[in-house]
Amino acid sequence: MPIRRVALVWLLGALTPSLAWADTPLVVEAALDRVVAAPLLDAFEEAHPHIQLNFRDHSTLEVDARVADEESPPDVVISSAMPWQMARVNEGYAQRLESPEARAWPEWAKWRDEVFGFTFEPIVMAYRLDLSRHMMPPNTHADLHALLTQHRETLRGKVTTYSPLSSGVGYSLFQQDARYTPRFWDLVAAMGAADTHLEANTRAMLKGLSAGRYWLGYNLLGSYAMVWAQSHPEVIVQVPQDYSLVMMRMAFIHRDAPHPAAAREFLDFLLSQEGQRVIAGETPLFSVRPDVIGPYTAQRLRDQVGQRLYPIPLNASLLAFVDPSRRAAFLSRWQREFNRLSNPEPAQGAAPTE
Amino acid sequence: MIEVEGTLKSRLAIWLLATVSALGVLLLVEAYFSSQHAAERAYDSQLEAAALTIAEAVQWEAGQPVVKIPSAALQILATRHQERVFYAVLDADGQRVSGNLDLDIAPEWRRRASSQPIWMNEAYQGTQWRLYGRELDSAGWETQDPVQIWVGHTMTGREALTEVLFEQAVTRFVIMVLLAGILMLLAMRVALAPLRRLRQQLRRRDADDMRPLDTRVPEEMREMAETLDSLFTRQRQGREALLRFTADASHQLKTPLAGLQTTSELALKRDSPDAWRQALVEVHGSAERTSRLASQLLSMARLRHAVEANATSRIDALALLHETAFDWAQRDAAQAHDIGLAPLPASPQYIQGEVWALRELLGNLIDNALRYTPPGSVITLGAVCHAQTLELYIEDDGPGVSPDVMAHLHHPFERGDRQDTEGSGLGLAIVDSIVRRHEARMQVESAEKGGLRVRLLFPYLTQHEEE
Repeated sequence: MPIRRVALVWLLGALTPSLAWADTPLVVEAALDRVVAAPLLDAFEEAHPHIQLNFRDHSTLEVDARVADEESPPDVVISSAMPWQMARVNEGYAQRLESPEARAWPEWAKWRDEVFGFTFEPIVMAYRLDLSRHMMPPNTHADLHALLTQHRETLRGKVTTYSPLSSGVGYSLFQQDARYTPRFWDLVAAMGAADTHLEANTRAMLKGLSAGRYWLGYNLLGSYAMVWAQSHPEVIVQVPQDYSLVMMRMAFIHRDAPHPAAAREFLDFLLSQEGQRVIAGETPLFSVRPDVIGPYTAQRLRDQVGQRLYPIPLNASLLAFVDPSRRAAFLSRWQREFNRLSNPEPAQGAAPTE
Repeated sequence: MIEVEGTLKSRLAIWLLATVSALGVLLLVEAYFSSQHAAERAYDSQLEAAALTIAEAVQWEAGQPVVKIPSAALQILATRHQERVFYAVLDADGQRVSGNLDLDIAPEWRRRASSQPIWMNEAYQGTQWRLYGRELDSAGWETQDPVQIWVGHTMTGREALTEVLFEQAVTRFVIMVLLAGILMLLAMRVALAPLRRLRQQLRRRDADDMRPLDTRVPEEMREMAETLDSLFTRQRQGREALLRFTADASHQLKTPLAGLQTTSELALKRDSPDAWRQALVEVHGSAERTSRLASQLLSMARLRHAVEANATSRIDALALLHETAFDWAQRDAAQAHDIGLAPLPASPQYIQGEVWALRELLGNLIDNALRYTPPGSVITLGAVCHAQTLELYIEDDGPGVSPDVMAHLHHPFERGDRQDTEGSGLGLAIVDSIVRRHEARMQVESAEKGGLRVRLLFPYLTQHEEE
């Protein structure tokens, strides 16, 4: 008996602090740079002091793997790898958000009221100031292709872009590029000929640019690049003038979220005017809501870049990008094109992948 | 006694409501299923289109099927309701060439889809899915193995479309019912107008106005109007008969009373007791006749007004005939005549009737025969059994009456053109009334021996009444 009583007292003692604070934990699994998102997270914690936010920053493919974790599913999943997010929602991993904010959210930026695109991030090119000393910096995709063709030797080893194999975002962007024009493959071939370095994320590309390893980067996340450029004057960000892809970060509440109420509050905050105001004013993620004013809003971007913004459509067509055979076919073609000019035996490169 | 039982309007309304609701339930059930069907067809065709689009993208490389899933196919599958989508491309062995979700395609389904495209509803992950599977025959360089294409989506759009279609059907139905109800009310007003007209006409009528109706009625009301008319006619006839009877009765009573007055006045002027006596005898005789007249008038009135008093019983007609004949044969008035009975049927014959009335009937007939035949005449009573009726008859060998008089012998105060008797002329009228009350028929005809024969045809007591 005495031992039991002691155990009970000990248990009560252990429970008391958490009861007194009544904190609800909230696990957010995100492919979103903590540094970039910090103002947004701070604003949320300030507005909801009773929620203890556990924000985990991973790569897109890691985040996707965590969704299927049956042991400890996250509450909220945020990722920029749109096809993977879409596939998870289609598999039934999301739960519907029933709220005025969700209902009022623009149709083109949500699917099934389950997943919401809450940012509007342009995909950009970035170059080092050194580049402009040797050649005219590119404004369009065609410019980039021309530079890579005409100054191949000068640029050899100094160009960087996403690796479609190791980055979900990079893969999605290339898929989307290939969808718009077949000339994209010429660009891939040209990049391959210039021994382009393939990186797994934008940050690595930006670091390489600052370090002088790279002169030119293609398909960087504009949000990260713009922040970087503010503190690194040697890096110039260029929004392509012919067409510019726009990527949306997609957030959904996990079907088995351990703390669904807190998760709903978090998502509602992301969609709310306050949350979007923070996104527009204090982060370079660009807000979606039309009733928000700030330096980083979708409207402002449209005003600057014009009508050449092409948001990656948030609908079922994204699912095709994660189709395994289509992905395999795309990657093998990528490989083939990438090696086409530097290695003049295409059959050799193509055969093993099929 | 008029009992008010609701209104015609409410009756019609209830009928309308009952039929419309019964019909409505059927219609709505039908509408629901056809809405579902329509929604199904609409969305099934999307599945077909998606499967076709995928089929278009299937190619063979080195003997293996390869498919580059077209984005458009997935968008078609998702529809604008953003359904969750499923697709799978299976090779001839049932291995997945491509696909999403781990929804298993059972071998049985594959077998069925190999002969023709199939549709099925399947629960997966707690949601209903609509699946479509079809086989695609290949024409590759190395292989002819077929592939199967399976597509599916959740059913939100179908449910929403069904709901919309069903709501439209319900709305149409409700509007139709409301319109029908309004039209029904109007139609009822129009249809009931003749009734209202008739009612107003009847209400405006004076109490003693017995003229036929003068109104326009539809065919359905003709019978009622005619019945009303015939009711008026009968009332008018009854009233006229009553007036005539009263007038006649007054006239009949006035004559003997005037005679009494004259006789008594003359006697009072005399002094001789012989004359007084003579007058008294006359007064006595006259009073006797008057008294008889009065009693006959009373019988008449009793017969006419006591229609309701229905004290009938089962009567042996032959016994009654026998008894009455004997009774009369012994009376003083009959001593100058020969009253006899014809041979009667052996068994008793029963009829339904009132004993007093039947006695009165026979008595009146015998009395008539005594009065209107010369002394010494033979009066015969008898009975004949016919198939349907029992005939009682009385005949005499007196002078008889002419055929044209015979027709209205039974009218009150009709004496068969004879003013020489002491009869009041009420005898046959009373007989006629009694005969009618017994649902019998009376035939007056000339007897074989030249006199009058009165035949009374009574219905037999039926089995039913005998019980």
